[in-house]
Amino acid sequence: MESILVLTHADESGSALTKASLEAVTAGRDLAARLNAELRIGIVAAKPQLLSKGLLCAAPKGLQCAAPVLAVAGEAFAQARFASDAAACTELCRAAQPTLVLAPHSSRFARVMAAVAHRVGGAIDTHIAALGGAEGFETTRWFYRQRIEAVIRRDKRPWFLLLEPGTNPAFAADPHAPAAPSDQIAIAVELPELRTQVTGFRAPKVDEQTIRPDAQLLFVAGAGWTKKQPDGQVHTGEAAELILKFLRASGASLGSSKSLVDQGGEGNSVLPFLTHLNQVGQTGATPRHAKGLSTCCHGEEPHVVGWRFIGERRAVNLDPNCGWTRGKADVVYIADAFAVMQRVNALLGSSDT
Amino acid sequence: MNSNGRGVEVDRQAMDVDIACAGFGPAMGGFLTTLTQAWTQNPADPAFQSRVAPSLPLQVVCYERADDLAAGVSGVVTRAEGIRSTFPALDPTQIPMAAGVTSERVLYLLDPIGASRRSALLRCGDFLLRLGKERWLKDHAFELPWTPAFLRKHGGLVLSIGQFNQWVGQQLMAGGFVQIWPGTVVSGPIFGDTPDREHREVAGLRLTDQGVDKHGAPAEGFMPGMDVRARLTVVGDGPVGAVGQKLDEHFGMPAGHARRDWALGMKMVIELPVDTTLEPGSVWHTFGFPEPEIFGFLYVHPHRLASVGIFIPSWLGDPARTAYRYLQHYIQHPALWRHLNGGTLRSWGAKSLEESGKRGEPFLVGHGFARIGEGSGSTNMLTGSGVDEAWTTGVQLGEAVLEILDAGLPFTQQNLAATYEAHRRTSRIERGLRQAEHARDGFHSGFVRGLIGMALAGLTGGRLSLKAHIPPAPRRILPFGIYGKSGLRLRDAAALIVADGRPLHDALLTARGWPDIPFDGRLLVTHQDALLLGGKVQAVPGYADHVVFLDRRRCISCDDKTCIAMCSGQALSLGEDGAPNFEREKCVHCGACLWNCSQSPDGERGNIEFHAGSGGLHSGEN
Amino acid sequence: MATTFHIAVCAGIVPDPLQTLEPTTTPGGPAIKNEMLLPAVLDPWAASALYEAADLASRVPGSKLWLVSLGPKARLQQVMMTVAQKVAFELVPIDSPQGGFADAAATAEAIASTIEAIPNLDRAKLLLFGGWESASRGAGVTLQFVGERLRIADQFFGVDQIIVHDDGSFEVLERVEGGKHQVSVCAGAPAVLGWATGNLAEPRNNPQIGMANMRTVMPALQRAKAAALDANGLRYVAVSLPRQQRETRVVQDMTPDQIAAELVAWIGKDR
Repeated sequence: MESILVLTHADESGSALTKASLEAVTAGRDLAARLNAELRIGIVAAKPQLLSKGLLCAAPKGLQCAAPVLAVAGEAFAQARFASDAAACTELCRAAQPTLVLAPHSSRFARVMAAVAHRVGGAIDTHIAALGGAEGFETTRWFYRQRIEAVIRRDKRPWFLLLEPGTNPAFAADPHAPAAPSDQIAIAVELPELRTQVTGFRAPKVDEQTIRPDAQLLFVAGAGWTKKQPDGQVHTGEAAELILKFLRASGASLGSSKSLVDQGGEGNSVLPFLTHLNQVGQTGATPRHAKGLSTCCHGEEPHVVGWRFIGERRAVNLDPNCGWTRGKADVVYIADAFAVMQRVNALLGSSDT
Repeated sequence: MNSNGRGVEVDRQAMDVDIACAGFGPAMGGFLTTLTQAWTQNPADPAFQSRVAPSLPLQVVCYERADDLAAGVSGVVTRAEGIRSTFPALDPTQIPMAAGVTSERVLYLLDPIGASRRSALLRCGDFLLRLGKERWLKDHAFELPWTPAFLRKHGGLVLSIGQFNQWVGQQLMAGGFVQIWPGTVVSGPIFGDTPDREHREVAGLRLTDQGVDKHGAPAEGFMPGMDVRARLTVVGDGPVGAVGQKLDEHFGMPAGHARRDWALGMKMVIELPVDTTLEPGSVWHTFGFPEPEIFGFLYVHPHRLASVGIFIPSWLGDPARTAYRYLQHYIQHPALWRHLNGGTLRSWGAKSLEESGKRGEPFLVGHGFARIGEGSGSTNMLTGSGVDEAWTTGVQLGEAVLEILDAGLPFTQQNLAATYEAHRRTSRIERGLRQAEHARDGFHSGFVRGLIGMALAGLTGGRLSLKAHIPPAPRRILPFGIYGKSGLRLRDAAALIVADGRPLHDALLTARGWPDIPFDGRLLVTHQDALLLGGKVQAVPGYADHVVFLDRRRCISCDDKTCIAMCSGQALSLGEDGAPNFEREKCVHCGACLWNCSQSPDGERGNIEFHAGSGGLHSGEN
Repeated sequence: MATTFHIAVCAGIVPDPLQTLEPTTTPGGPAIKNEMLLPAVLDPWAASALYEAADLASRVPGSKLWLVSLGPKARLQQVMMTVAQKVAFELVPIDSPQGGFADAAATAEAIASTIEAIPNLDRAKLLLFGGWESASRGAGVTLQFVGERLRIADQFFGVDQIIVHDDGSFEVLERVEGGKHQVSVCAGAPAVLGWATGNLAEPRNNPQIGMANMRTVMPALQRAKAAALDANGLRYVAVSLPRQQRETRVVQDMTPDQIAAELVAWIGKDR
């Protein structure tokens, strides 16, 4: 029988578990119920006692009891640092003796979990998109930058699985539930010499943050925005204004095609707020959003592979032969994006007020 | 800045080598393999001692513009006599996508659509063929009962030049004698100090500047191109190569020689349907469709892959001639579609072919340099064969260099002429080139005359042919006016470009009655998808634009804009001021713009310069 | 600066990013169809690591740089012809099958034992560089395994910058959630740095660097040891290309006002 340990960690404030950690809790509960497995939860935090409330009733679905919680505590764990986090996770695993370890694919756990797997003689797979398997347990992940999907099994235990954020709903504790919070079992960690100190965080210098991973909508701007318009002129300034206005009004995240981002390097007039970080596609990002709206982008395959995890897709393009019309989008409007987005902004503006 | 605005006067690093080579294709493969094989047999031979790096073997470096040795563009069928002579134990199964030729067909394709521009004579012939119905025709195609001997490639190989180059390159590099550097662009030759142009002297190669803006001015990370000084410079950079062009410009061409006949070869590598009946090694030659002047081919590789393509010749006078759309109509011809329907586009590319043959031959040797391959006029226009000829010229130079090294002589014009040029003049390559010299002249007087001329030359070994005056390539682009109403329709079509960004050739062909392409996202894909899905075209930043318009006023006043219609990668589009705009990131380096310009400043060449450029195709299956 | 570093950059090779990839099944497990036909490049994030390593080595005199690369020998040779023109390094090749479907732990074992055997590499000075993820397996675990095998106690991933101080300690910027960097200061080597893109542009091709590298690259390739990679119980149940063909509604006859109204309603739905 499998036994599951879900590893979680606190957010920067130290007073709550991260959303991705709570998603892993959901995945752990579902999986424990399905496999009829034991479930334990491990916490890495400076003050784990502050976090117990968030795990009320986090037992496998259908069970009323609380899942046992194991925790490491101490100031060393306020920092996301390889040496201390690896030691903590190793001790949690040794204490729980799980066969499956689920954890969020966060920067903090991605930094240490392979080392932890190595220390406890386990195997690890990351960026897990789904846990399944009618007969036996198997997982789904992507290879070659989201271009090939594979379902894998492993015999080796413990098997560590880092779950891709956004693939499970976050666990929400029910504060009114009758079950009492489980007592935390404190796990002692013998820390190695700590040669690294985290001194803080630094945000890149950008005027306006246009990448919003949690947004419902991805708005993609293609190279057409900087091409000449029916009046024979280029309207880059107007394009920039329309796009920014839309982003502010809709809260959408901004993506771009490679051809538009690349223009920046060649000295052309290009949208000032775009960087290579905005690029979506085969040589860019593959973001996750419920909806995607493409404008002035031709929808060629190398770009559209970056839309792998976009739910509903719509596009505005002048070319009825563009790639979007051939099975790559749900709806394609053959229209001038300048005209459409002006009106969209007007409508969004009026609905805001 | 230089007077031409390109390249920068700066202190350049310099490096000395023994032999510097420009361009890695079949010719350079033949040359370097010949040297390597000889060195491997006797590496201690003092002839192989470097003069520039004492105690080391000869320093032989080869610079290739493309980002990968496999980024060549051609699916070919070749008799492979020269290649087999270099590799007597050649096993085609060791070369990816290679197959021995198993069958050959020649098909005359009729026009099932009715949109192609056929002369009355041809229409009459088509009518007669159609009378015979099934007896003579299958799938709107008439198969010649036999393949003329001059076209036959029996015993030869179907190859992907990309894979062949890679195979040769891997062996060369593993040998350790020569170094081949892809992704390194040679901007031109370093000429000798002598002011006398009769004394043809080359002292090495200059690499292109990196870290420059699109005009060539220094920008972030500027690194001036290095001077690579060499005892011998071997030029094999093809018909549109920068080094070859600059040599011709500087030294001129031998009397009576000029490069006036060209063709653009564009092809797809198609994964055939699972139930295909086409056998590896099958070879089809076609003519008659989509326009009578457009020849086509289908070569079948192993593992259900086929190379399918067309040639658009410079003597197709239409100013709005184009390739990609025609290629899509070509593959949909019933005779081909029967086999291709259900297939998938795996790769795509295009390349200019120098079709002047012997008449386009430049000075083959000079002090410190020699020319090999297609750019040296080695392509046989009668047999339609260039790869084996190119390879053989490389082998001939390799043997000559070994002779010169053995004798301890310098690489003077005299020594190179007495060895390389003399061997080449007495070889089968030269005999073939002489037979082919006028074989295609007839096409300048009409399609049917062209076929007759070719048949005459082929059947008489070149003794008979229909000779004709060959005008410079810009003059072969006929003004729209001669097309009457269709010319006017073209103007209407051109107006559409401004309205909705549609490319010229697409609008034009639709106006002429060619049906819209039923895109299926697999084989029939848009031109942009072909660039990215097929050609995988890319260009790294930091290099200058390699397509340069000499006098933009001429471009603005040009009615034809053939450069845009013939641009294989849609890298040229109509700019705001009416002159073409060049996007380096889309260029496949086919060089079509070089000979598809009607605005000649000097009556011979066009208004467009095609320099050495970085980037291009990244497909290895071409 | 008294400190010197021995930098080992682990960098695999992957198909050139625009190639069409299709999985196929071989007796040895899943693979990319026609992989040997496809042009290959140095793994992009690992390439950033290599350029950063070369930059660091040039700023810290006396440092040494090895490029440890695992892949089929013929492919490595081809990729080196491009990479070797960019920065100076000593190549340590490992001849093995190409591909992202191999088990990461087995790959790491082959790399770690190769690094252990590099003559004159001082493990106390070791900075183990690589990409934070590959463009093939994309797991981000191989480098960590190697670091663990070599008992390196400080590891950093998603690195975009390293600044070395005079005392040999260094500041590292790692990518974390929310578009930010976490800033850490490490006491010094040994350490593992898995790089994201860094801040350096791709170095220009320099023929002299190329020729100098080639004197060691080709002999190293000829000596390259073959490594068989154990599957370690990893089994592939299914490997497939995603099919996401949609029923597209193409709207050609709506005015911008109508389209805008429909889009705004769609954007607002489920919010």
